[in-house]
Amino acid sequence: MKDSVKTSKDYKEYLEEALNDQFLRKTLDKFAVDYRVSREAVFSEIDGRDLIKKVADAKDNACRHMEELYAKFKEEAEKRGVIVHRAKDAKEANEIIASIAKKHEAKKILKSKSMTAEETHLNHKLIEEGCEVTETDLGEWLIQLRHEGPSHMVMPAIHLSRYQVADDLGKVTGEKYDPEDIQRLVKVARVELRGKFIEGEIGISGANFCIAENGTFGIATNEGNGRMVTTLPKVHIALAGLDKLIPDFETALTALTVLPRNATGQRITANVTFINGAGEYAIGEDNRKELHVVFLDNGRSEIAKDPLFSQVFRCVRCGACANVCPVFRMVGGHKMGHIYIGAIGLILTYFFHGKDKAAILAQNCIGCEACKDICAGGIDLPRLITEIRNKTAKEVGQPMQVAFVGKIMQNRKLFHRLLKFARFSQKPFKTQEGFVRHLPDALFGKHQFKSLPTLADKAFREIYAEHAYTLENPKMRVALFAGCAQDFIFPEHLVAFMKLMKAHNVQVDFPEEQTCCGLPVQMLALKEVAADIARQNVKAIDASKYDYIVTLCASCASHLSHNYKNFIGDECREFSSKVKDFSSFMNDVVKLDMSLFNKSAEKVTVHIPCHQARSLGVMEQPRNLIGQVAEYTPSKEEASCCGFGGTYSAKFPEVSKELLGNKIRRIEESQAERIVTDCPGCTMQIRGGLHKKGSKVRVTHIAELLADNLKK
Amino acid sequence: MSSAQTQANLVDLYKEKAAATACQIAEFSSFEEAIPHLLSLMEKKAPCELLYEEDVEKGPKGPNGCPTRVQKVVAAPQLGEYYEPLKKAFEEKGYKVVDSGLRHYLAGIDMGIALAEKGIAQSGSCMVNTNNEDTRLATMICEFSVLVLKKSQIMPTVLSMADVLRSEMSASPANYITFISGPSRTADIERVGAVGVHGPLEMHIVLLEG
Ligand code: SF4
Ligand code: SF4
Repeated sequence: MKDSVKTSKDYKEYLEEALNDQFLRKTLDKFAVDYRVSREAVFSEIDGRDLIKKVADAKDNACRHMEELYAKFKEEAEKRGVIVHRAKDAKEANEIIASIAKKHEAKKILKSKSMTAEETHLNHKLIEEGCEVTETDLGEWLIQLRHEGPSHMVMPAIHLSRYQVADDLGKVTGEKYDPEDIQRLVKVARVELRGKFIEGEIGISGANFCIAENGTFGIATNEGNGRMVTTLPKVHIALAGLDKLIPDFETALTALTVLPRNATGQRITANVTFINGAGEYAIGEDNRKELHVVFLDNGRSEIAKDPLFSQVFRCVRCGACANVCPVFRMVGGHKMGHIYIGAIGLILTYFFHGKDKAAILAQNCIGCEACKDICAGGIDLPRLITEIRNKTAKEVGQPMQVAFVGKIMQNRKLFHRLLKFARFSQKPFKTQEGFVRHLPDALFGKHQFKSLPTLADKAFREIYAEHAYTLENPKMRVALFAGCAQDFIFPEHLVAFMKLMKAHNVQVDFPEEQTCCGLPVQMLALKEVAADIARQNVKAIDASKYDYIVTLCASCASHLSHNYKNFIGDECREFSSKVKDFSSFMNDVVKLDMSLFNKSAEKVTVHIPCHQARSLGVMEQPRNLIGQVAEYTPSKEEASCCGFGGTYSAKFPEVSKELLGNKIRRIEESQAERIVTDCPGCTMQIRGGLHKKGSKVRVTHIAELLADNLKK
Repeated sequence: MSSAQTQANLVDLYKEKAAATACQIAEFSSFEEAIPHLLSLMEKKAPCELLYEEDVEKGPKGPNGCPTRVQKVVAAPQLGEYYEPLKKAFEEKGYKVVDSGLRHYLAGIDMGIALAEKGIAQSGSCMVNTNNEDTRLATMICEFSVLVLKKSQIMPTVLSMADVLRSEMSASPANYITFISGPSRTADIERVGAVGVHGPLEMHIVLLEG
């Protein structure tokens, strides 16, 4: 991220720039789809979940023993003639490296890719000292020629087009290149950099792992530049974060089995190099290399002690959390992290590059959990991002407006009264289909890309009595958790649910003291309010009286079942364990009684909400339900984010709009007549988007589809 | 399954995965038999481009605008008993054969031949002991890299290499081991795959019985 980006307003302008970059958009769209395919192919050959768990456990363990591992590595490496340094911060690391260069009067420095060196801004320092620094990884070299930072941790130049590359290379050699001939463009680097390799006086590399048991470090590269940099100059300096320390070869090789597969869909990188000891250097006086390893702390030993944040050290820098992130897909890496990019970038920026930068960045997460699902280290990235938001809210401060929302949400009666008042005041703007008509721009501005729904004339809690029933001999009892959006905007979802349950002989209660699930306030970084709300709900619904607590909102389901314990601990154990989303409840627990249904010929596709697909792991149930009562018509990327993301779409309407556009395109391609989903937010978002385009495709909750096909 | 059968399966898996990394694989019962194959590879390949100044006779410019070698060079350090017959056959055809001093050829050589100590079926990789600087350079600065691997040395998975690697990395005071899986490659320009950004343009595996 640019240094000049200090306020949210700057940041928004900066985002706009990325969204208007057509090339970037096309590249990242294609990448998002291709990446999934190639990753899946190589993961099918291994037990991915198990390996990821092993990496996570091994790295957690290493993190707890960081100091011992450091001592062991140092001892072993020194035995082998290596000089080991430890730098407390970026400045010190740069000074150590600069002083080695000075000692050798070296001016020509070669680098192979190192995120850690990016973290410390090492190049700046060396250039200041009068050195010429050459990045030898092609992508790094290309961005170096442009004086830019990386836009992806594995593919640093993914934001550049072949035309830009051809131009930039032309400036280096003075020749003209055909931008279409990418094979030839790559060879320009081969020719230009060979001389640099031969003349280089010091080689600087990163390290993917530092194996304490015998002082070995490993480097994985595809281009072969890593081996050149570590071989050709007499002096080699490896720079590594303390988090790269691991105990043994088993851990290194386990990580190596996952890392390239998760990064680029490769089984392994073209080269993996293991080095220990100052080895042979054929043309030196003493025939020996001079080998330094510089370990960077820069706050790591502190983070290692944090019970929650220490998990960031499981990161193997595979970049996958950017690859699958819908926000990255829309805005690219320069807008999603400072040096470290993607979900992990939002977090590490806070620790390595300051609260101000992080405060803005941490807002740019939609909470879809795609990153958590794919992470090679099994890091709970969305949770950490939320915590960063909480921290920056405390340290940097929250806008007044947010604190105000918190106050209201804490008081259910006040909140509900306010919603009712809003319903009254929006009347003059309402159209027949229930969309808000032309709201003054001043109010909604950038939200005009979709039609906004209005609040229902009567909330579910006001009409519940009309639909309540008591069964003689119910097969089970459930409590309905309504969630604000269905209670106040889409009561028809809940009415459909009541019909289905009654037909299947399931008793439903609606405990009226329940309030908002609390997810929106969590997104706003109001931690205490979120805890307070969690307690209110656990109290309102006496879990011991019910077999299940069912909600028709996948986000509520995920929040109630997974997040409450983070706020209120054990108090919610029984409550959380009984929560079910509608689709899995209907499909797996109740099971459709087909004697009650007609099967229609309607072509129906599905949008699987982020929280349902990733957080709850529910994918097949909605498809299965559709198939039983209608013609299930698949569409591409059924589980990709629609851009709603709760309060996110209000904060970053620009990004939300682009995500929605993608979703709408997929729906149209499928030629379905109806799309169903299991979330009021997604219903709102997709219905709004289709309505704005004048599309005839219907958008409803899955429960409505089922209820529509009940025999009369 | 008998152990011979298991090994045969590993060889098949290795061949499949190595091919997926753009390796070209040829099987022979002995190294002697592989020599004609290597000679014909050498014969067909375009002369090596000189990417840096070297005091040597130069031919017309190659595809990347650099002068080319007139006498093709093959480097084969630490090849043991395979070296002499190889040297004889290649010199007969007028090629230059070296097994040391590769720092004098950093501008590029035509072919580098090295022994792989182990293969890894799961990833299609070769493990090469590159403690010796010439062996390391031979696999880096050549246009065609040839690795010689015995079928019996193929291990099942990356993780199964832990003990081998541990002992290799403790054998000498200083150690440098490389897993090589296919030619040098990149996808840094618009994610289009391209080989030969720094190291070999082609990778050939000579798979030997025994
Ligand atoms: S939760 Fe979703 S939006 Fe947030 S960082 Fe992860 S992938 Fe991106
Ligand atoms: S956080 Fe996880 S997914 Fe992201 S780069 Fe690190 S290991 Fe990969």
